[in-house]
Amino acid sequence: MIAQLLLTAFLALVLVYAWSAHRTVPIIGLLAGGAALAGLYFVWVPEHATALAAFAGIGRGSDLIVYTWVVISLLIMLNLHIKLRLQLDMITRLARAVAIDRAKGMLGQRPRRPRSNCRRRSRCHCQVAPGLGVTRRARDDWRRSGRTGGQIA
Amino acid sequence: MTGRIRNPWVVVAAYNEAPVVGTVVSGIRRAGYAVVVVDDGSGDRTGDVALLAGAVVVRHPINLGQGAALQTGIDYALEQRADALVTFDADGQHSPAAIAALLAAIEQPGIDFALGSRFLTGATANLPVSRRILLSAALWFTRASTGLPVTDTHNGLRAMTARGARAIYLRQNRMAHASEILHQIAQSSLRFVEVPVNIEYSAYSLGKGQRITDALTILIDLFARRLYR
Repeated sequence: MIAQLLLTAFLALVLVYAWSAHRTVPIIGLLAGGAALAGLYFVWVPEHATALAAFAGIGRGSDLIVYTWVVISLLIMLNLHIKLRLQLDMITRLARAVAIDRAKGMLGQRPRRPRSNCRRRSRCHCQVAPGLGVTRRARDDWRRSGRTGGQIA
Repeated sequence: MTGRIRNPWVVVAAYNEAPVVGTVVSGIRRAGYAVVVVDDGSGDRTGDVALLAGAVVVRHPINLGQGAALQTGIDYALEQRADALVTFDADGQHSPAAIAALLAAIEQPGIDFALGSRFLTGATANLPVSRRILLSAALWFTRASTGLPVTDTHNGLRAMTARGARAIYLRQNRMAHASEILHQIAQSSLRFVEVPVNIEYSAYSLGKGQRITDALTILIDLFARRLYR
């Protein structure tokens, strides 16, 4: 009797979980709810569980309940996986909005171009970065300033 | 640019492509197109190199994946009032010359998408046998799941009108976005054409390309996506 009450309490919690999951992931809510209801039925009518287990070739009714519990656990894991993906969706939207806003804010701001006739070449930090056509100092200033977008001619 | 397209933008998603992205952007700029490079949280100087080569650079603060980067670039280009968009790979395997052909295709009335196909005509250089088998399997899956009679899939060269771009929204952050685009084109009922394009495989681009294991990941992503709203 104690085991039946404990299992009933656990399965009632699963039912509540299934109801809340149903709003975001209908298929998971439906399957978890169905499995929980089946579990409740077999907890209180174990002879039917034994009959069904024998019919399914499992053997004992208690084994059937354990298998039902395993299925419920797998469904909950799948639901958690899907929730993680939904959170990734939100992170993606947030990162996209931040990236586009920054880029729009930087449009029109240009890094300094190199001075080709620098006369203090020996002490100057204005070396042109190989293949880039822009001074290393300008590029570093640009990077240090935290600017993340923009366009240069 | 002639005809109805006045403001085309090329969208390039780039992740750790510093060795080649400058050349890619320069080629597109020389061809006369505005280009937005979405630096997808690169650990190298991809964004800086693209910026210095003449691109507008949008930087993801974290790495999200090619699909997410493409959608960011599409959103940005639409905000710049682009009337046509071309997606272009950052690894140097596409030719800027293909952009004009793709744009010409969507200038035809009623056509909203032009999909590059490496199998229509012409030779695709250095396509390895393993890649050909992988692409054939992807093609079979795409045809079966979308009903679209395409000859190539997972080809990064595509053009779309602004209307077409607004009809799709990529939620597959990673490589499954290529299949997702085709699914959304099928659902949108907008018309598409395929345009033959040449892909120049190099050791660099092959090293960056998809593998057999990625195909399994793509299938799982597509399946998981269908489970929730």
